[in-house]
Amino acid sequence: MDKKLDASFERVEKALAVLIDSMSKYTPSEKAANGVVKAQRELFLGLEELEIHQRNVARIRQLEQETEALDAQTKQTISALWEMRKELVAVAPTKFTPTKEEKYPFTTQQLLDYARRISRNTLPPPGVTNGVDLSPAAPTTPDDQSAGGPNGSFANSIGGGGGSDPGTAASTPAPGVQDSFVSQAPSQSLTGATELPVHLKPAVNPLENAPFFTFPTIDRIRSGALAQYQDLVNRGIDPKIYDPEEEERRLKQEEQERKEAEERARQEMEEQERRMREERERMARERELARQQQQQEGGIDRRGSVLAPGQGGGQPGRSAPKQFTFLDEDDDDDED
Amino acid sequence: MASEPMSVGSSAQDPPPLPDATSQEPKYGGHTRFELELEFVQALGNPEYVNYLASRKFLQNPAFVAYLDYLQYWTRPPYLQYITYPTSCLKMLELLQVERFRKDILSPNLTHALVTEGMKAAVEWHREG
Repeated sequence: MDKKLDASFERVEKALAVLIDSMSKYTPSEKAANGVVKAQRELFLGLEELEIHQRNVARIRQLEQETEALDAQTKQTISALWEMRKELVAVAPTKFTPTKEEKYPFTTQQLLDYARRISRNTLPPPGVTNGVDLSPAAPTTPDDQSAGGPNGSFANSIGGGGGSDPGTAASTPAPGVQDSFVSQAPSQSLTGATELPVHLKPAVNPLENAPFFTFPTIDRIRSGALAQYQDLVNRGIDPKIYDPEEEERRLKQEEQERKEAEERARQEMEEQERRMREERERMARERELARQQQQQEGGIDRRGSVLAPGQGGGQPGRSAPKQFTFLDEDDDDDED
Repeated sequence: MASEPMSVGSSAQDPPPLPDATSQEPKYGGHTRFELELEFVQALGNPEYVNYLASRKFLQNPAFVAYLDYLQYWTRPPYLQYITYPTSCLKMLELLQVERFRKDILSPNLTHALVTEGMKAAVEWHREG
């Protein structure tokens, strides 16, 4: 653009120089004057063009500024989005909570069962809660501690029952309990004529002395599995290899074996006795037979002696069958 | 009443398996580890018992402290559902993770305050409900 304008100026100057030169020679040339006019017109055109050009430049600058502003805005938006995304990613772990719950699904029935199981230890029975005045429980702390032990003070804080947990502090009821019970007596007897006398009330209240603790009592701990474990350790038994059920089974088995052995021994003894008895009987029979035989033989001998000696040859023939008979009887006995 | 002090070298174990009729879990004196640990973690709900443990210097034993940390699996499912004394037991387990509390529970006053406040909270919560 500058070159174009420079050329225009140059042409105007040249035309003027030619015109002035011609005028200075006193020979004004019309052609030179026209050339100046023409050059001047071109210059004006060029100037107009320059104006348009300048305006365009300004416009471009303005547009550039706008672009920059928009760029900045875009960048800002994008960085804001990035920040937001980062924040979203940062809070993402909380989304895992539902999946974690799904890992341990439970049914309403299970929930209700659990509620039923724990309600005994989380909610005091109505009869125990009614009329509870907890405010004096705190100040009496040192007294309770010295007097009835901590379990006694539980009973005191429960108050309405007028007694202590039979399992925990029955042997040493806290004095504070008695006091609170007595102090309630007059107001109760005045409330209605149909009410039972105070001393009979505990008898008809099923929740009388009902224990309520939010934790296992010392007695329960003392009678639990850990106590058994400690007991085994104290007795010098290694609990790892000791199983009471197994032990009991073993003892029972031993007992049974012992009984069986006794029974067997008894049967054997009876058998022996029976045999001995039979033996004795057999021997008695044998003796009897022998005696009879002897008697018989004696008779024969006597008869033989009475008979003539020539008939004695018949004796072996008669005694032989007797001997066989004798053997037969012996065999029979063995079979028995 | 309490278990023997553990050796510091006791290695960390995974929580015991859940009770199952068919499981062949080794028994200690006739009870599984699950039963013993459940009983113990619930016994911790009794401030008197914790006081007793403190008086026997169990709570100063690093192995015992590690065991208390290990017992925290009872605060998560599926073990949580077996706790029948949830209120005091879980709170005590949480408190026992703090060293300051392990020292302070030696005081009978704090023990008694815990008992009284626990009872009060149980009754008052019921009243509000």
